[in-house]
Amino acid sequence: MTTATTPTTTTTLDTELLQALVDRLLAMADDEVILGHRDAEWTGHAPILEEDIAMANLAQDEIGHALIWYQLIEDLTGQDPDQMVYFRDAPAYRNVQMVELPKGDWAFTMLRQYLFDLYERLLLDRLLTSAYRPLADAAAKIRREEIYHYRHTSTWVERLALGTDESHRRMQAALDRLWPFAAQLFVPLSGDAALLAAGFFPAMDELRAAWQEAVHSFLTNMNLTLPQTRPVTAERDQHTHWLPILLGEMQMVARIEPDAAW
Amino acid sequence: MPDTEWPRYEVFKQDRPGRPHEAVGTIHAPDPEMALLNARDVFVRRPECYNLWVVPQDQVLTMTRMEMELNPNWADEAIPEDAPMRTFYVFTRQHHRRSMVAATHVGEIQARHHREALRKALESGRFTDKPVYLWMIVPADAVTSSGEEDVEPMFAPAQDKRYRDQSYYGGLIFDKNALKRREREMG
Amino acid sequence: MSTFPSTPTTRPLPNVGLPTDPDYEQRLAEFEARIEDGEKIEPGDWMPYEYWRQLVRMISQHAHSEVVGMLPEGAWIPRSPSLRRKLILIAKVQDEAGHGQYLYHAAESLGVDRDTLIHQLLEGKAKYSSVFNYPTLTWADVAMIGWLVDGAAIKNQTMLAHCSYGPYSRAMVRICAEETFHYKQGKEAVTLYAQGTPRQRRWAQDALNRWWWPALMMFGPHDKDSPNSPALMRWKIKTKSNDTLRQEFVNEIVPELLAVGLQIPDPELRYDEETGNWHIGPIDWDEFWQVLQGNGLMNKARMEARRRAHEEGLWVREAAEAYARRRMARSGPEKMAA
Repeated sequence: MTTATTPTTTTTLDTELLQALVDRLLAMADDEVILGHRDAEWTGHAPILEEDIAMANLAQDEIGHALIWYQLIEDLTGQDPDQMVYFRDAPAYRNVQMVELPKGDWAFTMLRQYLFDLYERLLLDRLLTSAYRPLADAAAKIRREEIYHYRHTSTWVERLALGTDESHRRMQAALDRLWPFAAQLFVPLSGDAALLAAGFFPAMDELRAAWQEAVHSFLTNMNLTLPQTRPVTAERDQHTHWLPILLGEMQMVARIEPDAAW
Repeated sequence: MPDTEWPRYEVFKQDRPGRPHEAVGTIHAPDPEMALLNARDVFVRRPECYNLWVVPQDQVLTMTRMEMELNPNWADEAIPEDAPMRTFYVFTRQHHRRSMVAATHVGEIQARHHREALRKALESGRFTDKPVYLWMIVPADAVTSSGEEDVEPMFAPAQDKRYRDQSYYGGLIFDKNALKRREREMG
Repeated sequence: MSTFPSTPTTRPLPNVGLPTDPDYEQRLAEFEARIEDGEKIEPGDWMPYEYWRQLVRMISQHAHSEVVGMLPEGAWIPRSPSLRRKLILIAKVQDEAGHGQYLYHAAESLGVDRDTLIHQLLEGKAKYSSVFNYPTLTWADVAMIGWLVDGAAIKNQTMLAHCSYGPYSRAMVRICAEETFHYKQGKEAVTLYAQGTPRQRRWAQDALNRWWWPALMMFGPHDKDSPNSPALMRWKIKTKSNDTLRQEFVNEIVPELLAVGLQIPDPELRYDEETGNWHIGPIDWDEFWQVLQGNGLMNKARMEARRRAHEEGLWVREAAEAYARRRMARSGPEKMAA
């Protein structure tokens, strides 16, 4: 991707490119807000006090990132982030199914986070040179926290995979469950071609290849077997039954007083 | 079934380049890498930090002035003849003021073992310009340290979370008139 | 429910003095002189057994309270009504875990290990602040806890920062620096809700009705009913009495609550022009003791949640240790301990 010599402002974006950009930003924002929600469920219930503190950090980071992406959408369309988060129904959400699944056990949460963290790190590396300046700036800010997330979760995946027989068994079970869902991270959106042509967003094919290579060597080095199950290739508007349950809890206070300030 | 809270590591934090490391507490961790990550999550939720050291607790000798008085033979111990000379970091506390820090890095000394290091530190006179109430002796080769490349991902993000700082909360004014107006509007 | 005997037969740490020691009286006099001089007592210094025992009790109860305290507010994280409130609440509950961590460290400095302390809590053998045995019924409870409960905690913690035992004092100084944000965010939120929609104002008033008395009970029984207090005061573990702190708290917070249009749920509350004190009505100490004994609305639920987290986390803690053992076995023998 080439770096723009002048920052691209919204007034120079045509309708199609604008929509494509909003769609991708929404996908990133929704992924983070839902994942952050699941991460926060561990607060007070983690395996040890230090991890209560660590998971709370992860959750704050993810929700903070979501806010950054929603704010970029707000700059483009005027939509308020809280309005988007608290007043959209499940079919309007654009997160991948992987992040809406219940938190499961520690192996499940750590592996899910690792698979997502790796995807996000690789994506952010490529977004650093996005021709859409606000996106490049946001990526630079978010990326440093993602480096830390990746370090934390890959450290845990390794310790559980190579810890005890029980932890290895649970990590393999988590991998069996999560692997097909991870594929959905790379499902293209209809506007991706326009974004690629404009230098705004990287190609998903190349990103998937980089991700697969990294994950493959990391996990197989720990005696984990990558499942041969069929990947989830649904579009991002297709959700599991878990999302409306999650949103029901998440949105209930906001929705009970839609005009209130909190 | 035996339970575990993991071993403990002493944590030493350097707030800025050029400032001395300070003993801030301990964390529980299964190994040095996780100790560094846990130390960051526990002790660097707010700025500032430039560098962290973690050291297994059983590798740190902590001794008070009174302890040395109560046990005059504290320095006696059997050290193997072939024990190599090593670098030991010296931390002291020289006051009784309220503080969140237990001891501050004041220098280093060469010795074959912790108690010898403390004895030599005392004898050198280098650290006792004022009375020392608490000593911590830390072998350099037991330290796991964060790196230069860790400053951005590990320590800088604390600056962004301004909502954790009490100064972020301005006094919110309770406007009785606005409330009355709204009550009237709602009927 | 004392977890360590009041008449010791063994020495818990090398320089802890037992009343049966021949030099006990002399050492005690020296110890009390140090405290009078404002010196900090550190682990390893001589200290009377009773000082050690009171500190282990107080610090571990304080630590347990922080950890259990994560639950009533943590329950509302998923239902936070805005992204900003969600971030703030997660950060606050994270701080509570962190404070528990600092406090367990202070207790561990007295020679008790964290595994033992946690098991005492989970087996119902340890106490923690009864304020956390009440349920959080609305979102406004979360805001009110920040203002009232953390406000009360700050009064207590500011005093404890001066305490004579070094590790506890240091933990308190660190906690005080972080706690003010809890109080301020709560006050900001309640002030907003108290002038918000009718439902928000109802929630705020209802939350105050339910949390007012539990917050006042946080300061402990009246001075005359506090058996531990004289020793704690003499050795500067506490420097202000329960009633003194409680009165200070009431004097500060009543005008603030009234100023935002809320009513204090105390029909006997009155202002005394002469002393400048707000006089409160009688506290229901029966309820206090019931809840402390374990019969509060949420005692069982709180303990079950903590037990479950701990039991389900065992395989995780073990796995991490197994990995570490294997790595160390490969990298060679451990160094000599200090």
